[in-house]
Amino acid sequence: MTIWNRRLVTMAAAALALGAYPAHAGAVLDRVMAAGTLNVATDANWAPQSFVNASNELDGFDVDVAKAIGKHLGVKVEFITPGWDIITAGHWAGRWDMHAGSMTPTKKRAEIFDFPAVYYYTPAAVAVHKDSKAKTLADLDGKVVGATSTSTFEAYAKKDLTLDAAGAPPFEYKLNPKEVHSYENSTTAFDDLRLGDGVRLDAVVSSLPSILDAEKAGYPIKQVGDPVFYEPLAIAIERGDPELSAKIADAVKAMKADGTLSKLSEKWYGQDYSKTN
Amino acid sequence: MLYPDTVEAEILVHKPWFVATMFGVVLLLFMAFNMSGTSFAELMRPVIGEPSVSGFYGRFAIAFAIAVIFTLNVVLIGFAPLKFQIGIVWLELLLLFIAFFETFHLSLPFIREKLPFLISQGVVTTLYVSAISIVIASVIAVAGAVAKLSSNGFAYAIASFYTSFFRGLPLLMQVYLIYLGLPQLGFVINAVPAGILALSLCYGAYMTEIFRSGIQSIDRGQWEASRSMGFGFTLTMRRIILPQALPVIIPPTGNQFISMLKDSSLVSVIGVWELMFLARTLGQKTFQHMEMLISAAMIYWMLSICLELIQARIERHYHRSKAR
Repeated sequence: MTIWNRRLVTMAAAALALGAYPAHAGAVLDRVMAAGTLNVATDANWAPQSFVNASNELDGFDVDVAKAIGKHLGVKVEFITPGWDIITAGHWAGRWDMHAGSMTPTKKRAEIFDFPAVYYYTPAAVAVHKDSKAKTLADLDGKVVGATSTSTFEAYAKKDLTLDAAGAPPFEYKLNPKEVHSYENSTTAFDDLRLGDGVRLDAVVSSLPSILDAEKAGYPIKQVGDPVFYEPLAIAIERGDPELSAKIADAVKAMKADGTLSKLSEKWYGQDYSKTN
Repeated sequence: MLYPDTVEAEILVHKPWFVATMFGVVLLLFMAFNMSGTSFAELMRPVIGEPSVSGFYGRFAIAFAIAVIFTLNVVLIGFAPLKFQIGIVWLELLLLFIAFFETFHLSLPFIREKLPFLISQGVVTTLYVSAISIVIASVIAVAGAVAKLSSNGFAYAIASFYTSFFRGLPLLMQVYLIYLGLPQLGFVINAVPAGILALSLCYGAYMTEIFRSGIQSIDRGQWEASRSMGFGFTLTMRRIILPQALPVIIPPTGNQFISMLKDSSLVSVIGVWELMFLARTLGQKTFQHMEMLISAAMIYWMLSICLELIQARIERHYHRSKAR
């Protein structure tokens, strides 16, 4: 088929399915295997999961996991870095095959995505300014809290979080903020928090690793209370390709069994997050 | 004076009432701020003693010294010839900005280390995305302007719908629409073409209006005279109307080019590794993003200055007829 023919067929199919992009079973896997490359979408701004390192290449835990999955499939891995909202909007249209960017499997997301495997769990925690008088999470009642927009941290702060993945530990809402401010990423939230206690924000909900990282980099912030929930994080693919899903699940299972995941977690976080504590 | 003439007048900044007012305003302004923690207060230590305990006298002395320096500076610049004035004022404002950036305590080695990549990947991408978009936008603008001025109902309706739609939607929204929306119709385009398409369509719409107003600013008599000589549409446009419209069109078009250069940063949301994307990404791991953002800001500024200079040159070329 020429490109134009194929385009016509796709257009017709798209018109028939009223916009639902048709992916017949195994289509993505076939494409990946034929091309010999797995196009992986990830965030470029989410250290230490994925970031641009000193030699200007993508690096981090998610990036290493994606590369390991690629090795299991026997294909090369290439990375694409669209914005988070572009990824979560769905309709990938074959621009990338897999998302390795610490996505939390929720019921709503499961309507668009398949989650072949949970590959680690992150404790989510609350950070306050160093000068904050808050000793427990209850001290933050009626305060202003920041979180990354459309993240689970924001959902938790707004009491709208559903963690329905297998093995997600139960949690309760311990935070009663007056207002929730949304940010593009956790760093901008920390930037507002560092201005002073209560200047723009009283607290930020984010992942414990990123809070510890910011603290290490000299941000005047500290963790308050225990982790509020353990977030299961999964590889995501578009719905409708059970073959690819099974392949990725196998790869992650093997990596859990042979200790690759634990090793990678130790490398990037100094702790083994690949199991629930 | 809008146009230089030979009427002798005393220079404004040398009039006693102006100098006195300026002095007073600066004095009051700086007294309103507590300057005792600054390095300027350290310089004043011999006069006011320990800055933090100098109280009202310290504040007054610091503000007085600043007011004297400021007023003296302005009065002295008033004596200089025009070209010197412009140069000195530019230099002084630049120094103030550098002093402002100093307060961030930027790590210069980090900037030096990342600058090559910022340029080889970021600036190159930004430049080629904007350059292609500028060319396409200009072509769209000429066609759009002609359509908007035509008496053909279809052409007018399409062109006016186009300008209304693309001027009315936020550019970011257009980027999303084109990147996420087109695949729904079966056209999967990559991030860079999607970005170029969004930029061209959006700026084409703005520039359509600029071109249209430029063409309309030419007196109707020019058109009629040309037609009466037997010139056709294309010839009239090319030889009579456009040459006269260009001097009107160029300044706002230059504005659009500069603004497009910076708006090209919006395509970073779809994962194009251009200047703004790298500025937000490179310093992330080490929390040195202020370094990268300020470097990117400086690079954008320098690129805009280049465009400004080009625009000034073209304007000079078209204003030969008005020069004396």
